[in-house]
Amino acid sequence: MKKTLLAGVSASFLTVLAASAAHAQSIDYGAMEQLFNEPVTTSATGSPQRSTEVPVAMEIISADDIKRSGAVDLPTILSRVAGLDVLNWGAGASDVSVRGYDQAMSPRLLVLINGRQVYLDHYGYTAWATLPVQLSEIRQIEVVKGPNSALFGFNAVGGVVNIITQNPKFDSAGSINLTGGTNGYGELSIVKSVKLGDRFFARLSAGAAQMDEYKNTTTVPASALTDPARVTANIDTITQLTDKTELRVEGAWSNVQVSEVVSNYDYSPSKYVTTSVKATLASDTKLGMLQASVYQTNLTAKQIVVRQPARFENKITVASVQDLFKIGAKHTFRIGGEYRENEVNTAPLAGGEVRYKVAAVSGMWNWAISDKLALTVAGRYDSLDLSREGTFPAGYPPVGNDYWDRSIEEASYNAGLVYRPTQADSFKLTAARGVQVPTLVDLGAVQLRATAGPFTVGVIGNPGLAPSIVTNYEVGYERTLPGLNAKAGVSVFTQKTEDVKGQPTSSQIDMMPAGPGILPLLSYRNIGDSKMWGVELTASGKITGGYRWSGDWTFTDVDNEAAAGFSPLIRLADFSATTPEVRGNVSFGWSNADWSADVFAHYTGDHKGYISAAAPALVDIDGYVTLGGRVARSFDHGITLAVSGQNLTESRQRQTSGLEVERRAFVTLSKTW
Amino acid sequence: MSKRNTRGAVALCALTLVAAPLSVAHADAAKDIQVAGRALTFLENGPTGKATLGVVFDPSKPASVAEKNAVMAAIGGGMSAGAVTLTAKPVEASAVSGVSGVAALYVTTGVNVGAAAKAKKLITIGSDTSCATSGNCVMSVSADPKVEIVVNRAAAASVGAVFKAAFRMMIREV
Repeated sequence: MKKTLLAGVSASFLTVLAASAAHAQSIDYGAMEQLFNEPVTTSATGSPQRSTEVPVAMEIISADDIKRSGAVDLPTILSRVAGLDVLNWGAGASDVSVRGYDQAMSPRLLVLINGRQVYLDHYGYTAWATLPVQLSEIRQIEVVKGPNSALFGFNAVGGVVNIITQNPKFDSAGSINLTGGTNGYGELSIVKSVKLGDRFFARLSAGAAQMDEYKNTTTVPASALTDPARVTANIDTITQLTDKTELRVEGAWSNVQVSEVVSNYDYSPSKYVTTSVKATLASDTKLGMLQASVYQTNLTAKQIVVRQPARFENKITVASVQDLFKIGAKHTFRIGGEYRENEVNTAPLAGGEVRYKVAAVSGMWNWAISDKLALTVAGRYDSLDLSREGTFPAGYPPVGNDYWDRSIEEASYNAGLVYRPTQADSFKLTAARGVQVPTLVDLGAVQLRATAGPFTVGVIGNPGLAPSIVTNYEVGYERTLPGLNAKAGVSVFTQKTEDVKGQPTSSQIDMMPAGPGILPLLSYRNIGDSKMWGVELTASGKITGGYRWSGDWTFTDVDNEAAAGFSPLIRLADFSATTPEVRGNVSFGWSNADWSADVFAHYTGDHKGYISAAAPALVDIDGYVTLGGRVARSFDHGITLAVSGQNLTESRQRQTSGLEVERRAFVTLSKTW
Repeated sequence: MSKRNTRGAVALCALTLVAAPLSVAHADAAKDIQVAGRALTFLENGPTGKATLGVVFDPSKPASVAEKNAVMAAIGGGMSAGAVTLTAKPVEASAVSGVSGVAALYVTTGVNVGAAAKAKKLITIGSDTSCATSGNCVMSVSADPKVEIVVNRAAAASVGAVFKAAFRMMIREV
């Protein structure tokens, strides 16, 4: 199979050599956006596309949207995107998902900054506070709804959030923001771009924030909570090596502490340190737009897992190459390859190291069949080799490290047909298959002993765990209404998740003791399938006089299809119960030369949430409405004074099974230059 | 909400959407010129700073003259469009072979100067899509209701115009 694929890649390269030259340049998002009067993106297919023409369900949050949101964190901004669910566990920790399936340490949403993964691979989730990016340096946030594994690889199954920062080569950035707020909130951030001559460009940013954790009105042990704080720094440089070749080097660091909810729904006072370095060489050649990148991310995560301190040291190294080129007038292609190494130690019980290596090839073909019809097909094949080394804790079954010698080989695809019968109407028909690979923790990095009633049990990862396969089909229609200066859309989608991952639970022993002195074991298991269908309605527009408005409503219906012998409820995977059927947003805003005012209302319908308990249990979460907003006054010399708020409807609101979310207000003084 | 009600609501919304008024968009010379100017910056070795657009018209055609007047008025003393600041000068169709000092020609509707422009190696831009699809223009641009850019590859090659690869992937080529 691999030989066949490599042969295919070789043939593609020969095709490229035969193709006409495609002299290319780097993508200037700002210039493209101004030209086409809409955002552009590469997050749908890897090729630059206008947001209205991408063959996936996507929303793009602009820098202006971010500024006007009044939000101080990314999850709050994302909560206002149609179809996104956000579980706010604390003042600095949230989990985000697309169209349901949200959970503690939500694994289905892949998050990246400029294409560099900030999703934490070892445990399979995103600790949003660790993202080394200041809100003021973000050009746009691209939100893909549904699987996009064919471009991004494993774990882009529920959706993708790709955060695009300002480009130091094209965007001149300079800002300082000072925010103070209720609940002890304080934040300072600085962003500055510099140009040295005609060939070196850099953007530097740094920020620090601290806040009080929400008041503990529940049964969460005080020792499981900590006041959130974060310090992050980032450097992004571009060196123009030749007129058509550039080297981009990005470095990032974050040091964070938060009260978060780990996958068994216990609170943990967690600490993270992340460092990442990425180098990307991009060149416009006769063979197309060639790009080679390599990055390494090191993570230290200190968490409390089943009341035991766990320290994970995770190292991810990713190298990739791709070529993007157009043949003739109607065919655009992308071919690529990626190699990834991912390793982490076992914890809380040390002694082992689990790692995998992934080799992948991918390709994309966009065919402009006519001026009204375009077809895109993308595919990717991943081959993962798992291994383990080190010792095993006493009381564990007598298996060797070779038990972990296992391969996972999976293909993923994205296909989309975009039909635009008029300049106002756009139909999309998409199909996708995404792969959610078991995390290193699932596969064996977690090792602990715990008491379950009078017994002592062991918890261990399961190297035989199968990937979850998410298949999604969607039909969408969008109509621009120039007479109303508005647009509106409707989407219907259906999704199936095969081999849903269930968590270890003391309510079900997975491996009985094989002999004297051997512990009964709890582990991760594939517990069956899950189906979802839903509908999404969106509308937005502008009204003469500086007014703007938007509204959306998303319905989802999730059904568990458990395998024999498994209960989604006790495996902490009862997504039918934990996914609200309805969520929606309404916003209204107004601006003139000096003033800007926006208000955002969000509704999440009734659902259930897991509570931390001896045995998994669900509690009712009543539907709730949140209100946020911002009023800002701009002054000369780039100075802006803004007052903003979140969760304004109640002083304390129950949004999850955890801490109650508190009303917060902020005052921000900013200067741009 | 029951599933039956949900489906009913969706059907109602879809019907409302389809039935919503779609007013006829009118060509806006200023917007079209903005698109034209910005598109020129995506040429390899494209213009930066000040660039003059020759506005080609046929004095015997009132519609062409009216469009020329609208374009000249829109550009006025100078129009900023991305990395370029456009100025304009009127050029009669019969005088294209002798034109000089222009970065590109903006061809009003109903005028064909393809051959003369090719001889001068000048990029031609029209607001009428058929100008590009027929090969009479290198590029056609329109801003409303949605920015549409069409590039004729043969016409571009004949005047030596090479657009950047990323730009080519986002427009319609014929």
